[in-house]
Amino acid sequence: MTDANVIPPSNRSPLRIAFLAPPVGYYAIFFIAPLAFLIVLGFWIVRDYQIVAEFSVTNYADIFSQFFSRSRFGWALMQSIYVAVTTSVFAVIFCYFLAMGIVFCVPERHRRLYLVLAILPFWSSYILRLFAWQLILAQKGLLNHILGDLGLDDPLIITNTQIGTRIGLVHYLSPILIIILYITLINVNRNLVEAARDLGATRLQAFWRVIVPLSRLGLVFAFGFGVLVSFGDVLCGLLLGGGIGQSWLGSYPLYSNMIMADYNSYTNLPRTAALATIMVSIMVVMLVVAYRMADRATQPTA
Amino acid sequence: MGRLGHHLHENGYRLAGRVYLVLGFIFLLLPLAFLILFSFQKNVYSSLPLQGWSLKWYGKLVEDGVLFDALLNSLRVSPIAATAASVIGFLAAYALNRFVFPGRTLTATILILPILIPPLILGVALLGLLSRLGLHGELYSIIIAHTLLLTAPAMAVIQLRLAQMPPTLEEAAWDLGANELQAVWRVVLPWALPGIAGGWLLAFTFSFDEFIIAWFVSGFDQTLPVAIYNVMITSHDPSLNAIGTIVFGLLLLTLLGAELLIIPLFMRRGRA
Repeated sequence: MTDANVIPPSNRSPLRIAFLAPPVGYYAIFFIAPLAFLIVLGFWIVRDYQIVAEFSVTNYADIFSQFFSRSRFGWALMQSIYVAVTTSVFAVIFCYFLAMGIVFCVPERHRRLYLVLAILPFWSSYILRLFAWQLILAQKGLLNHILGDLGLDDPLIITNTQIGTRIGLVHYLSPILIIILYITLINVNRNLVEAARDLGATRLQAFWRVIVPLSRLGLVFAFGFGVLVSFGDVLCGLLLGGGIGQSWLGSYPLYSNMIMADYNSYTNLPRTAALATIMVSIMVVMLVVAYRMADRATQPTA
Repeated sequence: MGRLGHHLHENGYRLAGRVYLVLGFIFLLLPLAFLILFSFQKNVYSSLPLQGWSLKWYGKLVEDGVLFDALLNSLRVSPIAATAASVIGFLAAYALNRFVFPGRTLTATILILPILIPPLILGVALLGLLSRLGLHGELYSIIIAHTLLLTAPAMAVIQLRLAQMPPTLEEAAWDLGANELQAVWRVVLPWALPGIAGGWLLAFTFSFDEFIIAWFVSGFDQTLPVAIYNVMITSHDPSLNAIGTIVFGLLLLTLLGAELLIIPLFMRRGRA
């Protein structure tokens, strides 16, 4: 057997270059190049409906000069972060308890069925699930109809608010988060839970002081994943949030929707590229924060 | 488990858990049930009360043709993109699994990165480059873009499978006189096949459902999600329920195929 530290003799095989060349080549042309070009493009301008390769900070100056005023990109950015973070918190709590339900309340032979049911929505069209949610949550939709039959006559206004956006996003995230949290919980050592109970902990104490700390890594990972996906999503904000959904912050669109709308109405690709570059920068910051959080979560607490 | 299960059985926690499970699964499955139910109802506006069974929305789907054409476009784009991504993904997975070289970790990180970047950004970036190269606005533009997006998930699944392969298997093939390419073709590839099939299916599903990249780079010929979006923002059309049911059925068949074809393959190979 070869030792892990020793490079196997076949390491210098011609296959190495031959197998690495297609993926590396494809990524160089269609991944690295577009991303690099995105940054460059943000500094170009449009003149007479033509993209002109001329260095200029016009786009950024224009975007930042009206960041919190006319176009309110800044508010949209804050709306996006606010919606993404709150969505992820709701989604993690919702899915954590569902995963707990599957682990603790379902007999082992039925768990697979529950997991298959949980990921079933993933196998239908995302945009059509949102179409269904639109009709379910609409002012004259299914939900309000049922509530009306129960005697609640004031219809709930959900679509065209960021609450609608969040419902769509939580539903979108659920299959993946349930799987992540299920795997986390199934790996929590049951003996530790029982030991806590034997030593006199109540069920709630065992939950807060044994189960939750032991699933910390999974929870942090699920939360980070939820924030990243929600922040980048366009369809929920557009179709359930109505584009400029109302929230506690005010009636601002999500930043992702603003990028799409900006491109749709001006077809000024350099400007759209600048907006996208700003979004990537924010995400890099978020990734660094998430990495720090995950790093801390893996450290044993004193 | 015995004691804990016993405790839970005795009190209301278990009941509360069950109620929560039922409510949670209603939330998860409601939109699906809604699409299927109202695709077979006469209602023009999909809400209660039900007005009786009908197939008219399926008829309208065929009559209109727009969504059907888009479905056909998707059925051309997604298999090609998934196949290209699986091939590139296999090559990368094999190289990363077998070889040690400087920059290996960096290469692996970059190869997986497209899943972490929002598709919105990839869409804008790819449109920027493809339009510069004159390659935008066609069906093949979507194939190019999707191949990039799908390589990472396909590679990840194939890597999982290759990691289970004992290195001695390939070494044995070399000892028995196979050259390296023959060893890959006759030994590694058959071993990796369940992973490749799984990766392909995952890639196909992603591509089939992908909206924003296709929205940016496509032109006159649209894939299904883009066409659905255009119908949604211009009118209220209950035949969307029908296409939703068809898509769900299609993907479910694929899933069933996976269950029947791939999982037994995993089991058999796993034991061998």
